Amino acid sequence: MKSIVMDGDNRKNQERDDRSNSIHTFNLTKTFNNFHAVESLSISVNPGDIFGFLGPNGAGKTTTIRMLCGLISPTSGTGKIAGLDIVKDSLKIKKIIGLLPESSGFYSWMNAREYLVYFAALYKIEEQIAKKRIQNLIEKMGLATKSTVPIGYYSRGMKQRLGLARTLINEPKIIFLDEPTLGLDPKGQQDIQRILVDLNRENHVTIFFSSHALNEVSSLCNRIAIVNKGRLVAEGSIDELRKLVGDSSEYLLIRLLNLPDTQKALSNIQLPIKINSNINNPTKEFIDVSVLDAESHSINKVLEIFISSGLQIYEIKRMNRSLEDIFFKLTDSKKEQKLHQDIKPEISKNIDKNQNITGSKTGSKLQNHGGEQ
Amino acid sequence: MLELYRHDIAGTFYSWKGGIWIVTAALIFSLVAYLLLTDKELSLLDQGEMLFTLTEVIISLGIIISVITASSSVSTEIESGTFESLLLTPVTPWKISLQKLLSIITIWIILYVVSIPYIFAVAGGTNLGISAILYVGLYGTLLIIGFSALSIAISGRLRSSKNSIMTMIMIVLILLSPSLFFASSLKKTDFGLTLENINPVSHTMNSLDSLLVDNEQLLSQQLSHIWPVIIFTIICIVFFTFYTRKFEIKGL
Ligand SMILES: Nc1ncnc2c1ncn2[C@@H]1O[C@H](COP(=O)(O)OP(=O)(O)OP(=O)(O)O)[C@@H](O)[C@H]1O
Ligand SMILES: [Mg+2]
Repeated sequence: MKSIVMDGDNRKNQERDDRSNSIHTFNLTKTFNNFHAVESLSISVNPGDIFGFLGPNGAGKTTTIRMLCGLISPTSGTGKIAGLDIVKDSLKIKKIIGLLPESSGFYSWMNAREYLVYFAALYKIEEQIAKKRIQNLIEKMGLATKSTVPIGYYSRGMKQRLGLARTLINEPKIIFLDEPTLGLDPKGQQDIQRILVDLNRENHVTIFFSSHALNEVSSLCNRIAIVNKGRLVAEGSIDELRKLVGDSSEYLLIRLLNLPDTQKALSNIQLPIKINSNINNPTKEFIDVSVLDAESHSINKVLEIFISSGLQIYEIKRMNRSLEDIFFKLTDSKKEQKLHQDIKPEISKNIDKNQNITGSKTGSKLQNHGGEQ
Repeated sequence: MLELYRHDIAGTFYSWKGGIWIVTAALIFSLVAYLLLTDKELSLLDQGEMLFTLTEVIISLGIIISVITASSSVSTEIESGTFESLLLTPVTPWKISLQKLLSIITIWIILYVVSIPYIFAVAGGTNLGISAILYVGLYGTLLIIGFSALSIAISGRLRSSKNSIMTMIMIVLILLSPSLFFASSLKKTDFGLTLENINPVSHTMNSLDSLLVDNEQLLSQQLSHIWPVIIFTIICIVFFTFYTRKFEIKGL
């Protein structure tokens, strides 16, 4: 956790440095009348990351984002954004970040342009600069044809775009988004994702976003944190999280023709398999079977076994465990107990490899529930 | 610095309906002035008493309009979800609230300017017109700053327009017409007397009474009434400053 404690000089350098768009929290905790909404959360987001923040409903994602953006103050623990303290320097932080909240309200009597002019003024952006920037944003967000219509008449998607335009009005170095694509149509989701990726690539903006759309997270994010009940469950790249969930991450997906004796043949297979389709439905043309632990089996050998059992193979693919699998495995409360037993050997392996699981730049880490060790 | 203030003023007047309360207030002033000047019984009142009645109406109306506007100012933004985006900008909650206070004072000033011709009309040729205008300006502004500051702080605390308007209306009603709540026998008790002594609205009305009806035109004769009102305003501003320093987002 070296990066968290910074002396004065170091801090000045960091502030000047464009790469200092980092986010660090250390034991960040928020308690609402004895209820721990966020508990001892320590995460690190590197400059230029697209960081996905996942967790089931009520996990504490919004609460964390609000603490980071200075909307609520932490009960204990600290956080730094671009080297600035989230409590003491919250006004300075507000100048360099943007947040698109879970749901924002708008002044229904204003139009998009007036709304953005108002916020540009609140950020004290010079009028000429603001004018150009607003024009750009309106075009980029696809609001050009509606920029003079009162916001009261906007659809949810248009409001979300306008909210994103507002978030970008101060050209933030770090942006936070709380479920930005919630309730948008596929085109809208894609547009917002594209804008985020462009910002990240072209302007090196650090992006921190919470989402329930796991495919979106796995396609956009280079690093992910999963929280559950206010606690960090895991943090790292998707590959690292795959390893963390224990068993092998690859599997073979085999699609079989559904013939009368397929079921019987499958029961004789001597491999760790999982049948994904409803095998008892004779009207189904195909049956999908996953062969788990795929790294340790060559496809030749698997095919041999299947063919010799008389199964008719239609298609075969090597698959990666999806983020969804990982997510459920890490957040399922019933399995939580078991999970920790599963994962422990992995932690020690990681520690051996990286020396310091939390400090390494891309290192993944697991938060241990207190007292369990 | 005044972006928010301009925005609030624009929000008040964004359509012709926004200014409807000015028209309503002007109609009420006209009605009162008309009755005072034409009704046989009422017009038997001397000039000073008529003027006193009108100034009472102006100040009461000013208080009610500003208290309702101020009590809903912050809470409406909280309820409609716009407050969070304001707090995200590098403007402190205190500055946001202060600009809202300024916009409400502006509304009072408009109302005050609208009332001036009516004061002149009712004052007729007497020299009471000028003192009525000055004292309504002084007391009205002090009371409205105080009540509005209190209302804005309560609006941000209670986070609900309904609750903060109701709370403030109750406070204003008790101060504006104590006789409505306390029977005259209660008025003579220690409690009643203390309330009367610290009630800034009573001091205002008593001062206007002595000024316009008893023609006590010297400032020194009114000082004992002016001080309590100034103290009330200062207390409200302190309260305002204290309770608008910090704001935590809750819920949606
Ligand atoms: N102001 C508050 N007072 C009391 N409890 C609160 C408050 N704000 C949040 N909580 C509680 O804290 C927990 C975390 O809430 P939070 O909104 O951060 O969850 P989330 O991860 O964003 O969930 P979702 O995915 O549904 O948006 C919830 O159990 C919530 O009820
Ligand atoms: Mg949330």
